[in-house]
Amino acid sequence: MALLEIDGLSVRFGGVAAVADVSLAIAAGEIHGIIGPNGAGKTSVINAITGMTVPQSGSIRFADREIAGVAPHIISSFGLGRTFQHVELFGDRSVFDNILTGFYRHQSYGLLAGALRLPKALKSERTTREQARMLIEAFDLAAFADSPAGLLPFGIQKRVDIARALAAEPRLLLLDEPVSGMSEAEAEAAVATMRKLAREHGITLVVIEHNMRVLMNLAERVTVLYQGRLLASGAPAEMQANAAVIEAYLGDAA
Amino acid sequence: MRVRLMLIFLGLALLAALPLVVTSYYLYLAELAMVNVIIAVGLNLLSGNCGQISLCNASFMGIGAYCTALCTIRLGLPTLIALPAGVFISALLGAALGYPARRLSGLYLALITLGFLELVGIVIEELPDYTGGIRGLKVPRPDIFGFSLQSNGLLYLFVFVLTVGAIVIGYNVQRSRFGRAFDAVRQSPFAAQALGIPVARVKMIAFSLNAAFAGFAGGLLASVVGFIDPPEFGILTSIQHITFIVVGGLGSIPGSIAGAVLLTALPEVLRGVQEYGEVVYGIILLGTLLFLPRGLIGLVARLQTLRSAKPSAKEPAYGAP
Repeated sequence: MALLEIDGLSVRFGGVAAVADVSLAIAAGEIHGIIGPNGAGKTSVINAITGMTVPQSGSIRFADREIAGVAPHIISSFGLGRTFQHVELFGDRSVFDNILTGFYRHQSYGLLAGALRLPKALKSERTTREQARMLIEAFDLAAFADSPAGLLPFGIQKRVDIARALAAEPRLLLLDEPVSGMSEAEAEAAVATMRKLAREHGITLVVIEHNMRVLMNLAERVTVLYQGRLLASGAPAEMQANAAVIEAYLGDAA
Repeated sequence: MRVRLMLIFLGLALLAALPLVVTSYYLYLAELAMVNVIIAVGLNLLSGNCGQISLCNASFMGIGAYCTALCTIRLGLPTLIALPAGVFISALLGAALGYPARRLSGLYLALITLGFLELVGIVIEELPDYTGGIRGLKVPRPDIFGFSLQSNGLLYLFVFVLTVGAIVIGYNVQRSRFGRAFDAVRQSPFAAQALGIPVARVKMIAFSLNAAFAGFAGGLLASVVGFIDPPEFGILTSIQHITFIVVGGLGSIPGSIAGAVLLTALPEVLRGVQEYGEVVYGIILLGTLLFLPRGLIGLVARLQTLRSAKPSAKEPAYGAP
């Protein structure tokens, strides 16, 4: 049974079809790559899945629930998280605060409890801080914990973005170009961390990339988008050998 | 940390002892400053943290003031019930404004809050049987458990204790999950939504919370001044509230306190230069905006960095793992 099932998805902006009739299914526990050249519709697919754009037609089912057109914060609360291509950190807050904010939906104390620091709120804050520290360690961010996130180099901001998304404990995490702006070494380390996360926490990963090489080492299956349409889907090695894919995508790089 | 806590307690003790040393006029000024501190702390949560502009802060102050006063005068309620009643009604109306306002931003938000301000002004003026209309309303001194605070020193202490309480609450909210959600909504609504933060509801909470603070301050103001009338709660007052937090430092509670105290005291200090007072006030305002973009608190932070002028070890090297 697929955890995320997209059927006949179409997204249009005015007359432009950003995504046209795309269907794909992602199984629980899978690491799935979505790849395509610029303008292929990768980010539009992510935005539709996370509720940030409303698709014109098609269905998106997550954990047996229809989520097409549902408000983003509700979709997120179903356990579907995302990171951003151009990171969207809370720039003047510290890295630690950014990650704490990620725990919002797992904290349940009310405004009054927070305003008066009632035991319920204090307990929740204590455990949340502890969990945030663990994420900081896991992502090797201890040296930057107190720095304003917006002042950090892009590669480190990317790591903060992923750590913050994980704080919300998603079942499925959509990573929009997670290694762009990273050095070769950083990217390799990040790929290793992602693989480890998926395994240890049982998180399903959907990784958007335009760089095939990154996905070769990470994804179990790859979906290739081209001009808003689904071009091919299969194991990374198959995709690299697929004539249509080479023609449309790898072709112009070679 | 312990030293800092002791300094805070020492400062509080000294402030509490103020009635022993100054005349009642300066006590009155101090009370006005404290009312403004409460205003600034609340508005900073809405504007500084949550990033929502409001031109009707004075309205909520007015709503709190009139509700508290009317509960005391008409219903004969004791102050310790009338004051929370004013806060509650103000918070409720804050939520009512927040409901349409939560989907707006920028100029539209400014306009809808301006409309609310006009509306509240008209309601107060058009109900003279209750509010005294443009002639205003005389408000009795507050009472605690039937004991009227006729002494100026006791009134000061009453306001002082409640102000400290309001600051603590503001500080707690800012450090709670709600404070973090406010900041998230201001800095990136997209990221906030992706983390499951209900952006529209969070904005509504911020509006309502700010209205509660402003209503509370209004209730105290009515008691302190002993008289309220509609012009007190007009657009100029709203603008003045915004200057408190901009001069003090957006998003900062020490900044709110500094801004409110300084700008309440400034006209007094400038009394010596008489008609040029307003000019100097304006120049100080403009100067802050031009040279201290992060307010007085930004200046303090900059001075601290200058003092510890060694290159920071925390500065990350580019590409560091």
